[in-house]
Parts: sequence; C-alpha cells; structure tokens
Amino acid sequence: MTITKPAAAKRPEPGAAAGGPPARTAPPAKRDSRRRAARRRENVAGYGFLIPWLIGFLGLTLGPMIYSLYLSFTKYNLFADPKFVGFDNYIRMFTEDPQYVQSVQITLVYVLVGTPIKLAAALGIAMLLNYRNKGSGFFRSSFYAPSLIGASVSVAIVWRAMFNTGGPVDSSLSFFGIDLGGWVGNVSLVIPMMILLAVWQFGAPMVIFLAGLKQIPVELYEAAEVDGAGPFRKFKSVTLPMLSSVIFFNLLLETINAFQVFASAYIISNGSGGPAGMTNFYTLYLYKRGFADGQMGYAAAMAWVLVIAVAIIAFILFRTSNRWVHYAGESK
Amino acid sequence: MFRIRKHRSVIAAAALTAGAALVLSGCSGGGSEPAATYDPNEKVTLNFAFWGNDVRAAMYDEAFKAFNEEYPNITVNTSFLGFPEFWEKRQTEAAGGGLPDVMQFDYSYLRQYSENGLLLDLDPYLGNIIDTEPIADNILQIGVVDGTTTGIATSTNAWGLYTNPKLLEQVGVDTYEGGGTWDDYQDWMQQVTDAGASQGIYGGTDWTARIQNFEIELRAEGSYLFSEDGEPGFDKARLAEFWESGAEARDGITIPQQQLEEVYPLSGFDAAKTASELTWDNFGAGYLGNLGESFTELGLVAPPVTVEGAKDLYLKPSMLHTISAKTDHPEAAATLVNFLVNSPEVGAAFGTNRGLPASETQLEGAELDGLDAQIRDYEASIEDRLGDAPPVPIVGAGTLEEKFRQIGQELGFGTLTVDEAVDQFFNEMDVVLNQ
Repeated sequence: MTITKPAAAKRPEPGAAAGGPPARTAPPAKRDSRRRAARRRENVAGYGFLIPWLIGFLGLTLGPMIYSLYLSFTKYNLFADPKFVGFDNYIRMFTEDPQYVQSVQITLVYVLVGTPIKLAAALGIAMLLNYRNKGSGFFRSSFYAPSLIGASVSVAIVWRAMFNTGGPVDSSLSFFGIDLGGWVGNVSLVIPMMILLAVWQFGAPMVIFLAGLKQIPVELYEAAEVDGAGPFRKFKSVTLPMLSSVIFFNLLLETINAFQVFASAYIISNGSGGPAGMTNFYTLYLYKRGFADGQMGYAAAMAWVLVIAVAIIAFILFRTSNRWVHYAGESK
Repeated sequence: MFRIRKHRSVIAAAALTAGAALVLSGCSGGGSEPAATYDPNEKVTLNFAFWGNDVRAAMYDEAFKAFNEEYPNITVNTSFLGFPEFWEKRQTEAAGGGLPDVMQFDYSYLRQYSENGLLLDLDPYLGNIIDTEPIADNILQIGVVDGTTTGIATSTNAWGLYTNPKLLEQVGVDTYEGGGTWDDYQDWMQQVTDAGASQGIYGGTDWTARIQNFEIELRAEGSYLFSEDGEPGFDKARLAEFWESGAEARDGITIPQQQLEEVYPLSGFDAAKTASELTWDNFGAGYLGNLGESFTELGLVAPPVTVEGAKDLYLKPSMLHTISAKTDHPEAAATLVNFLVNSPEVGAAFGTNRGLPASETQLEGAELDGLDAQIRDYEASIEDRLGDAPPVPIVGAGTLEEKFRQIGQELGFGTLTVDEAVDQFFNEMDVVLNQ
C-alpha cells in the first residue's frame, strides 16, 4: 500500500490554469502521473460530495419532469393506469377548451401589464431611497416589508376584505364620488386588483435596483451636470444605460415569476378562479384540472406548454437584450 | 485500517437499510385475515376526515367523546375541510395510497373510489361489527357498488326550498307556500326583491345554476340526469331550454352574481342576502350557524312542481361512511363506523346536521325538535313526490356538478351566452364520460 501525500499542497492554483496556456516546460513524467492520480482522486471526492444533490436532482426534479412529459400524452385520473392518447391533450387545449383560452388571456394581461408597472414602481422607489438621508435604512426596510409578507396567505385574505363592497377601498373611493362597488366580485376590476397586489410587492426588485444604483459612479453624474444636464436627462442618459443590465435581470425574473402566480389567486377566489374565471390564472387552472377534476394528463400537458412558453419568452428577451443592455467595460 | 473502518460502516449502512426495509414492509403488509371482532384492549389510533364547518366539527367532537367512553383504547384523530378542498386532498391521498382510515363520504365519489379498489369491502363486517338490524334494506343498498358494500349511509336527505322568515318579515312579504310552478316561485322572488331593494335583500338565487334543479325537471318528464352507463338523459336543446328559463330571473330578480362572489364560499342565503334557496334539506343547521344568533328559525317547503303528480324528488344518502382499503386496523375502523352510524349518542350530537338519521337506533337517540323535527316532517310531507333514487352516480359526477355551477356563475355575469354555455358543458361531459 503506497501512501500518497495530500495533493492539495502541490496543486496549481485554479486561477492560474484559466489564465491561458501556461508556457512552462513539461514536468517529469513521474510527477505528471502523480498529479493526474491526485486529480482523479479529487474528482472522485467532488462527485462524492455531489451525490446527495444529484440524487435529489435526478429523483425529485428530472425524473418527475420526464414522467410528467410522458403523462402529458396520456389520460390519467390518479387512480387507474395512464392511458396513452397521443397529442389529444394538446389538441383539446387549443381547440376545445374555452376556459383554457381565457386562462391564457388573463395570465398574459397580468404578466404584460403587471410586470412593467411593478418594475417601474420598484425603480422609482429605489431612486428615492438612494438619496442619503437620515433614516434611509428604516425606509428601505419598511418598503421591503410587503414583499416579505406579500406572498403569505394572510395578506391575500386582507386584500380580499379590503376590496369587498363596503371595504376600505370601496368606501374611500365612494367618498371621492367614485362609486365602483367591491372589486373582488367585479369581472372587470378583479384583474387590476390582482395587479395592484403584485405591484405592492415591489421589494425584491427594488433592493436589486438599489444595489445597481449604488454601483453607478458619481463622476458620471458630475460630468453630466457640468455639461448642463437636468434631472430627466441624467436619468435617461446615465441612470438607465448604467442600470440596463440590472433592469434586464429584474425583467427576466419578474416575468417568469408572474407567469406562475397562484397563491394570491387561489386565496382571493377561494380556489374557484372566479368571478367568471377572471382569476383563473394559468397555474390555478392547471391545479384545478389536475387535482380537483382528476385530469392529470391534461394538467401535465398544460404544465409543459407553460414551460415551453416561458422558455420562448426568456429566449426572446435574451435576443433583444444585446440591443439595449450595456455591460460595464463593454465598448459599444 | 482505514479501509476496514470504511467496510464496517458500509456493512452498518447496509444492515440499517435492510432493517428499515423490513420494518417498512412489515408496516404496509398487514394482510392478515379480518378478525370477527375488535379486541378492546388493543391500543389503536385512527385517522378520520370529514367536510363541514365549525358547527359540524363541534358535533363530531361530542360524538367521539361518547365513543371514547365506550372504547377508551381507540384514539381518533380528526381533520376537516370545505367540500371542494376535501376532495382535492382525497384525490392526492388516493393516488399516494394514504387515505384516512375512516371517512365521511359523498355519494358522487363512491363509484370512482370503489371501482379503483380504494375502499374496504365491508361485507365481512356487516351483521357482526356493523349492526345492520336498524337500517332499512333499501338504504343499505345505497352503499353497494357492483355487488360489494363499500359505504354505509348515515342518513338521507331530499331536495327542498328553504326560506328565511325573519328577512321576509323585514320586507313584509308572506312566505312561499311550497310547490306551485317555477313561474309562481319566480313571481314570489320578484315581490321579495322589489320590497327588499332598499335593504339589499333578494328573493333568491338563480336556480338554474344548480344541476339538481335540472335533475328534478328531467325526472318530472320521466327522464334522468345520467344513466348507470353514463348516458345523459338530455340533449343540448333541453339544457339550453333550462338555462334559458332562468334568464328572466337573472335579470334583476335573483341576487346579482357579483354579490355572491363576495360572500363565497357562503351562499347568499347564509349571508342573509336572499330570502330563499333550493338545496338539500340537511343544510338547515349549517344555515342557522352561518346566519348567526339573531336568526332562530327557517322555513322549509317543497320545491316548485314541473309536472303535476310526477315523482321528481328522491331520498339521497346525504353522506356515507367508508373505510380505506389500506387501513391497518379494519376491525377498529368498522367499530367506529358502526358507532357513527348506529349509536343513539351520535344521533343526539348531530340531530339532522348530516341528514335524517338512517338507522332507527340513531334516530331514536336524536332529539328532533325545532329545525330537526321540521326536516323530518318535511320528508314525510313530500312522500307523494318521492321516486326511486338514481343509480350510484357515474365517475366524474362531482366534476360535472362543479362545472355546472361554474357555468351558472358565468351566465349570471353575462360573460357566456346560453348557447356557449351548453357547448362548454357538453365538451366537458365528453371528456369526463370518456375518461
């Protein structure tokens, strides 16, 4: 049994190898093979440490995903064995299920209207908080608070109570002569209400924007001022370009998140997706089809359409991003 | 040395795994023959699930207290949910093999769960652990699917028309007499809505949003909702006619759908916004609970008549008790079911909350006064209209009932035309019936 010394001491710095092909003379063959053995051992150890994660990934993510892809081509009611039906589920989705079409429509409205408003609100407030005032720390945390509790069940319940007929929103609007009644049961007001709830949870993108704003060198603003730029010009020509990579990141993240809105819709409509299906967002409808109606094959097909749709949208965002996203140090 | 230690740990791990596997398989095996009786000295814990509200939960607490006096070694863990959530949860549990030992069960899901072998065959326990003497044969037959008894009906209920005398007094309109034609009922609702306009009180809810009202119309015409083979007893034209018949009422007579959305999951009647509602007659206690203490009585009369002299109504099991096929303690579970179905104490605890008790011993225990007596008298009064119960509902009946309700809502909002609604329902039927 040969005893080898711990390899770590003689291992080259990982960074050194990445710097380009090293122009050094070939080491003696013995040293080389020993190093290779050390690296192999290291690999084994690396994979060894990865195993728990790999098991989780294969067993809990990849496996179920592949199974759900299979299920999407079957009829499966949870009890009996899945029955293969080819593309029936997908065909039914687009040709025979008006509820599905409605669900897609309202989800798109929610994403396309809600996400930009949310990002604008987050950016605006981040800019206000960027001033160095006394107590800015306090305001930063208090503006972030809604996002911490926003996704919780209790807030959705409060939201529902607030927007009911005779609730605080209704009565204060009536005070100003705007008589809209309750929003929760109103077919045309319930989506705006859901968007408001999403916008109100601007905290996460706000914090990221704030970090981005801190990164913009003050000299740029000073130079712009010397050139006679007003606040709007500074925002347009300094802040926005310097922040574009952060905006892109937030846009991507929030868009993907918005597609998956579930909890707030489930609670506000008590799981019904009402009024008249106007809160029957994509994932809620998917859940109802799968678990309430026992049409798991159909639900799996819906999930895959969502995955593909979100992937396409992310792809498009990436493709357009090189036109408007500037990275520091990149010449344009 | 290093190696040896490693080996030892591998062996230990293998031993542990094997041990765990043995324990696990030992746990889930349990394929012993059912003993004829439950051994009262055996310590057993059973899970029990029901749908309902706080009112019913308190009643079950009382029932289990009485049960534990008799069987101190059986611990019952209970959980409850609203009706739709209850079934969502059961569906996932059924798929994963983890149904509660004993369940409160609904007729519309009985066939689906029985045909998939999820419910325990109760035949070995009938006549010994589960006393069948006090239960009428036709009621025992209710829990039989394809020749096997998988459920015991606790009680029966019938479709009825509830009215709220306090609201009617407030608006100054006489109560509905019961029976009459659908037009009579609509005219009466119109009166209430007109008189109650300033107080926000309406005559009732659009009855065409409930599939049961469609069913009693079909039964009155000698047809049915679904046959045992899943054939619908109506065509598109008949369904369109039914939904069309509610158009006038939806236009300013019945409570607007928007208001119903705001009180959901309560109904307009629960929320004291409507003076009448067509529903199952065991809903009364729940209504009084939700209406609050200022409401002490309700009216209960017969639904409108579609065809004079027809047998349009029927007694339905309001709920059943079933046992999971995978329970580890079938004898104890059967003992619990027997108690819940037959014991006079349970009758005393529930009154008619679960419907009119099906078992004679339980009915004797129930002190039927007030609303409970009203329900008993109501079921006696409609005897001439009671026909044979329809067959055990088809698989997916629950889904279709819910779809019918949703479409009714959209009709109420005016977001669907009747023709679109009919197409949607037939599409859904197509999917469900061919599952």
